[in-house]
Amino acid sequence: MATALARQPVSLKLLSSGFLALWCLVAAFPILWIAVMSVKSPVDAFDDRFWNVVTGPATLANGSGVSVLGIALYLAACWGMVRLVARQMPSLIGQIPPRRRWIGWVLGAAVVTLGAALVLFVLLPTLLAVLNPLAGPLGRDVFGFTTEHYRTVWIERGFLRNFQNSMIVTCGVVLVSLTVGTLAGYGLARSGSTLAFWILIIALVFRALPHSVLVAGYLPVFINSAEILRPILGDAAPTLYGKPLAVIAVLVAINQPFTIWMLRSFFQNIPADLDEAARVDGCTHFQAFRRVIMPVMWPGVITTGLFSFLLGYNDFLVTSLLLDAQNQTMVPAIAGMFNRETTTTDQVVAVAAAVSITAPLFILVMVFQRQIVSGLTAGAVKG
Amino acid sequence: MAEIQLRNLQKRWGDFVGVEGFDLTIADREFLVLLGPSGCGKTTTMRMIAGLEEVSGGEIRIGDRVVNDLEPKDRDVSMVFQSYALYPNMTVYENIRFPLKVRGVDPASHDEKVMRAADMVELREFLHRRPAELSGGQRQRVALARAIVRQPNVFLMDEPLSNLDAKLRVSTRAQIKNLTHDLKVTTIYVTHDQIEAMTLADRVVVMRKGKVQQVGTPTEIYDRPANAFVASFIGSPAMNLIDGQVAEGTFTADGTAISGLDLPDGPLTLGFRAEDARLAEFATQAEITAPIYTIELLGDAVMISVRIGGALVSVKADKSFRAEIGTPVSIHVPARICHPFDADTGERV
Repeated sequence: MATALARQPVSLKLLSSGFLALWCLVAAFPILWIAVMSVKSPVDAFDDRFWNVVTGPATLANGSGVSVLGIALYLAACWGMVRLVARQMPSLIGQIPPRRRWIGWVLGAAVVTLGAALVLFVLLPTLLAVLNPLAGPLGRDVFGFTTEHYRTVWIERGFLRNFQNSMIVTCGVVLVSLTVGTLAGYGLARSGSTLAFWILIIALVFRALPHSVLVAGYLPVFINSAEILRPILGDAAPTLYGKPLAVIAVLVAINQPFTIWMLRSFFQNIPADLDEAARVDGCTHFQAFRRVIMPVMWPGVITTGLFSFLLGYNDFLVTSLLLDAQNQTMVPAIAGMFNRETTTTDQVVAVAAAVSITAPLFILVMVFQRQIVSGLTAGAVKG
Repeated sequence: MAEIQLRNLQKRWGDFVGVEGFDLTIADREFLVLLGPSGCGKTTTMRMIAGLEEVSGGEIRIGDRVVNDLEPKDRDVSMVFQSYALYPNMTVYENIRFPLKVRGVDPASHDEKVMRAADMVELREFLHRRPAELSGGQRQRVALARAIVRQPNVFLMDEPLSNLDAKLRVSTRAQIKNLTHDLKVTTIYVTHDQIEAMTLADRVVVMRKGKVQQVGTPTEIYDRPANAFVASFIGSPAMNLIDGQVAEGTFTADGTAISGLDLPDGPLTLGFRAEDARLAEFATQAEITAPIYTIELLGDAVMISVRIGGALVSVKADKSFRAEIGTPVSIHVPARICHPFDADTGERV
């Protein structure tokens, strides 16, 4: 209800919405622009005229384009699939007993990915090939649109390999960071001792170190790791330099202080009464942690996990310094695609790679946004 | 069936003394209330019995076991927390069942036991809600049900009513008294509210600054307080305390002269309860004469206060009594209703 108190003058409304719109444009423009570039032929992508980049006449001339009907169909398909998944999936998975529910989520995600790929890359193109000639002017190609750069990147340039490496490094970082972080964060949150305080301060100091310092410190150890580890592992001792394991170790070292601090503050928001109630009810200290505290902690774990994921996923310095060619992750791989000798074709291919690398992040944030903002602890204690 | 023995129980944090020299035997099935102002060590004592706080010295026995070094789960106690400490991710049913589940009680019996506990506190219709969807009083009852569901030997309650509004507090108080009577368990109840202590307890322990001031039945504590602190803590309003001098059996202070006391000469703190004294019909009968400081209508009576020295002295008058502030009143305080306390130590003389 618009009361006199809540009513804003028109000028203020215009100003604030105008500012918001401008801000959205500035923030989203680079992403949208490279997304547009990545589906055009190099001639269009680097054209001086704005409108030529958007419509892509040279791409159209090459015979790759999309009709109005095509755009409408693709948009409808995307919207329909999102609606279907959002409505059906939680209730379907809710029927599985809680203990095995995570299997349901993994299976569900796999089915959704496969289904989406099938619809978007097989079903719709076939359908459009039949429908376009029948639709008259609506069926004529109006925008240049080609997926050839994506094909080049993922198949010819072996970006899939980089993607796998990125996933290995990122998952390793998230897994180690969260395991150590939850245990340490819980312990430090519940301990009132001076030692706990100093551990946290020292963690902060390590967090403040430049990343290159850590890399420099670890480098000799990784290069000589075969000799160092020989007394323990025998001849199987690996040279860690160039392996994902080395990058995971350094990234965890960089990330761990932050996860400990963040998880600690989440744990501190959970009243200690809950642990105590669980211990009186019959739990050991560890059972109280696992059965009572962790279920309440999920939003905190997911939020911290997301930040760890981003650190591992987006890292350039450590991965470019420590990994050899076949273990290269995506970010340094894209950086390697740009150099003085590159042609415009190579550059558009690199742009397509850059667009590919952002897609998983969008999906990740959208899937977990509810956990990130939710406050499960509400109602734990007196209201 | 458990008797609890506390022998010279102590708690220290560095130099700070939390609880000092606590000696007490709590009989099987007794309802004991630990009463005192905040920071007096009553909650610490209870937490030591629960095993949530380490013991610095002395011994705790539950039944015939010394439990000093046992984990809380091995002491067979259950506890109701001031904040209720319900598990927010579980429904009411799962909350109540939790102690049975973690203790490995036969799953076939869970349903019946949870239902019985829920019925005792009238929660049956809320079993599938989560704590966040319940009112304060309902959460409090879930906490009670979770504590009684596995029939422990000892029942600990840490200010369970302090987060409820005044009306709900009275009805829940009655419910707790009835419940513990039915369950026949030893109960220790911590509160700072003397009315709760008086209404619930078989015996009350009054504590102050980590030390036990007096142990006794509510009647004993009310009728014969061991020192000036207990006297001023128990009763509503608190006992009137006047500082003055005794000479030849007569106590004198500002506007006050009470004769017929069998006490040695010297300084003294004299106490009497507002409901024991009354207004004098004739000025010659009065032991205290002073102008009215405030007059408060209570409904069933009128509370009149006067100032003697620095202290407020209250007396209950008939409910029809009316007077202006500032008019002098005469108060009759016979020697037999007086409680003499040492002026320095506050101990009863």
